[in-house]
Amino acid sequence: MPWKKILVPVKGTAVDPDVVRLAITIGKPSKAQITAIHVIEVRWNLALDAVLEDELDRGEELLANAAKVGEQAGGTLLTELLQAREAAAAIVDTARAQGTDLILLGMPYRTRLGKVYVGRTVQDVYVTAPCSVLAYRQEEPK
Amino acid sequence: MERPPEEDPPDTDGTPSLEERQRAAGRLPGDRYVRIVRPAEFRRGRGGIYVATDKATEPETALGRLYDRARRILFGRPIVTEAEHEERLTKRTGLAILASDNISSSAYATEEAMRVLAIAGAGALALTMPIALAVVGVLAIVVLSESRVIRAYPQGGGSYAVAKENIGTLAGLIAAAALLIDYVLTVSVSTAAGVAAVSSFVPELHDDRVIWGILVIAILTVGNLRGIREAGVIFAAPTYLYMLALFGLIAFGLFRVLTGDMPTPAQPPQPFPAEGTELLGVLLILRAFSSGAVGLTGSEAIANGTPSFKKPEAKNAVTTLVLMGTVFATIFLGLTFLATRIGVVPDLHEAETLNSVLTRSLVGDGPYWAIVQIATAVILLLAANTGFTGFPRLASVLADDRFMPRQFSFRGERLAFSVGIVSLAALAGFILWSFDGSVTQLIPLYTIGVFLAFTLSQSGLVLRWWRLRPRGWQLSMVINVVGAAVTGVTLVVVATTKFLLGAWMVLLVLPLLVLMLYAIHRHYRSVADALTLESLDHPMPRLIPPHVIVPIARLDRAAVGALAFARSISPNVQAVHIATSEASARQFRERWARWTGKDATDGAREIPMHVIASSYRSLIQPLLSYIDDIDERDPRPVTIVLAEFVPHHWWELVLHSQTALRLRAALLFRPNTIVIDVPYHFEDAAGLDAHTKDRG
Repeated sequence: MPWKKILVPVKGTAVDPDVVRLAITIGKPSKAQITAIHVIEVRWNLALDAVLEDELDRGEELLANAAKVGEQAGGTLLTELLQAREAAAAIVDTARAQGTDLILLGMPYRTRLGKVYVGRTVQDVYVTAPCSVLAYRQEEPK
Repeated sequence: MERPPEEDPPDTDGTPSLEERQRAAGRLPGDRYVRIVRPAEFRRGRGGIYVATDKATEPETALGRLYDRARRILFGRPIVTEAEHEERLTKRTGLAILASDNISSSAYATEEAMRVLAIAGAGALALTMPIALAVVGVLAIVVLSESRVIRAYPQGGGSYAVAKENIGTLAGLIAAAALLIDYVLTVSVSTAAGVAAVSSFVPELHDDRVIWGILVIAILTVGNLRGIREAGVIFAAPTYLYMLALFGLIAFGLFRVLTGDMPTPAQPPQPFPAEGTELLGVLLILRAFSSGAVGLTGSEAIANGTPSFKKPEAKNAVTTLVLMGTVFATIFLGLTFLATRIGVVPDLHEAETLNSVLTRSLVGDGPYWAIVQIATAVILLLAANTGFTGFPRLASVLADDRFMPRQFSFRGERLAFSVGIVSLAALAGFILWSFDGSVTQLIPLYTIGVFLAFTLSQSGLVLRWWRLRPRGWQLSMVINVVGAAVTGVTLVVVATTKFLLGAWMVLLVLPLLVLMLYAIHRHYRSVADALTLESLDHPMPRLIPPHVIVPIARLDRAAVGALAFARSISPNVQAVHIATSEASARQFRERWARWTGKDATDGAREIPMHVIASSYRSLIQPLLSYIDDIDERDPRPVTIVLAEFVPHHWWELVLHSQTALRLRAALLFRPNTIVIDVPYHFEDAAGLDAHTKDRG
């Protein structure tokens, strides 16, 4: 399927580089525009546009790393930094605003009560996104 | 025509930030989010700093992009500061890049010693081997002593740092000046020798040897501006080819000599006569030694360049230093042994090198002879590279200590010390041209600097061991005492035997260079005294609005822009017009009166205008005199606001008189004067037209 716009949320987990490389591989044939996005979740006791220096620094670093991984994989990444109360809603709204065809989600391998745990953000994006969603789960550590 | 009303300044919300926060409504109520829009040219770094991205350095104009592309082809892509460690040298590239000068000396050291001995006749050539052993003995002491320098000063600086810290600033500067001179001469001499080696093959090149030499320097400059790692890659192959070719030749020669297959010595075009023209005396032997000692140059480059090595820097530098000494000694002793054993003699007129004659004796004039000659020619050309590594680094250390202009410590886009590299190329090229590219004329200038620096650094280390007395200091001290004595004696021998041949020039330039380094330091110290904030509690002074003078050539949009800006910084604005005739003065006054007449805004009406008629049509001088007079009557710094029209294209500048530019230049060194340029771009005019229409 020729996806033209791919959105890749990055959160700073070990799966981020894999997802970025996957996005480059998937997007290369159709010369897709790939955007890495990081959402800073703002607590309810703060203003939505509060300047959170540490989170901003971290977000920029994550996006810069994603761009570097993308460059090494032979592609070019746009980056987007957002602040929202909930990451999932901001990702879906951005996908809608940008006309994204595919959201590529990365899930680090985590278990809870013996079962693989899918985080809230992944679940919410899966359910509410208007476009295709592909979730990439990291392999089980050996 | 009705004048548009005066505009209120637009509302501004403090200082603009690099980040913009755009609020956006989500699909559902409560799903609002904030998009943080950052400019592509900058990104946030850790600790609240902004980092300029590649985009920030991209040129904006087509011409700029073309220039940038050409520069990248020539010098390579810019390297980020964080990649500095990747640009460092391994032992393999370090040997090629820092030791090529020393190793290449083996190509001519035997011949230089033999040429002096041959004056006393063929029998005196038997002394070549003992002299070679003495040179290698000195080299061994130098290597051992320099390894102590590297361990004690892994941050580099070599002889300069050692002498400065342990003996004093003057000693340090003498060592630095000596090395700087020697690095420049290394480039000139090696280039001249390399071109001479090539012109032995192609005699047609001989007449244009200066041009070819300068071309070689230009190629080396570009190679070094591409960065030290790439320079290492470029220069590694010829260095290793030379080493392999010579090791092979020496091994084959030794095999033939030891198995009794003694080759017949080949004859150069015009061999030295067997009968000497001078008696063999101590002075001649010392001269032969000092000529052979030319092979010791370049051995300080590794100690100076220690920080260029990959970690652990000191260990890698010492290993490379030992390797360098071993390679030089093996080739030098091997060639000297074979030359004296077989009985080859140098050519009287330098038409063929001794190594060429020796190689022909051993392998004939077949392909191996050609390989040895080509490898020798190339390494001699590349030996100049040691100067390109040593000079910029030493200059940067001196610049950090404020003894050389600060530009020498700036690293270029490829992390190379670009100013040092280009300055060295210019100086070496100038010397090559001044001496007509002649090796014979340049050689006597050489080696004094390096032995002076060696002696000072060894003496400095002796004092250091005596003062600090770390574990095992006694052995280190003995090594450095012997090193200081040996290099000191060699310095005296070289300086006295070569004095009249040209060494006096170096001994004359050296103190002048030291004085220059001191003068630069004095300037920086006085500037620092004037500029340094003694305490960070120092409050920012509050200034009263300045007295502003706005020189106006014509009452046009550029002038109005400058007057409006002047009014925004001070209520005390004074306009001045220099008229070239009384008629034009009258015309200007009338136009000014209309502009500041009853319909004028308050701001314009409050600006007094002085019109000065200049009988000799001179503009700048009457204006400067006017500024002087006004300045005398007002204690505040005089502020000049200049209106400057900037045309659409750079080449249109020649169509304008550039009075503002000339006035700015004239005011540059005027004390108590602030000059503010208010540019008026061609595009602004179109914008203003549209703006006026909207309002009208």
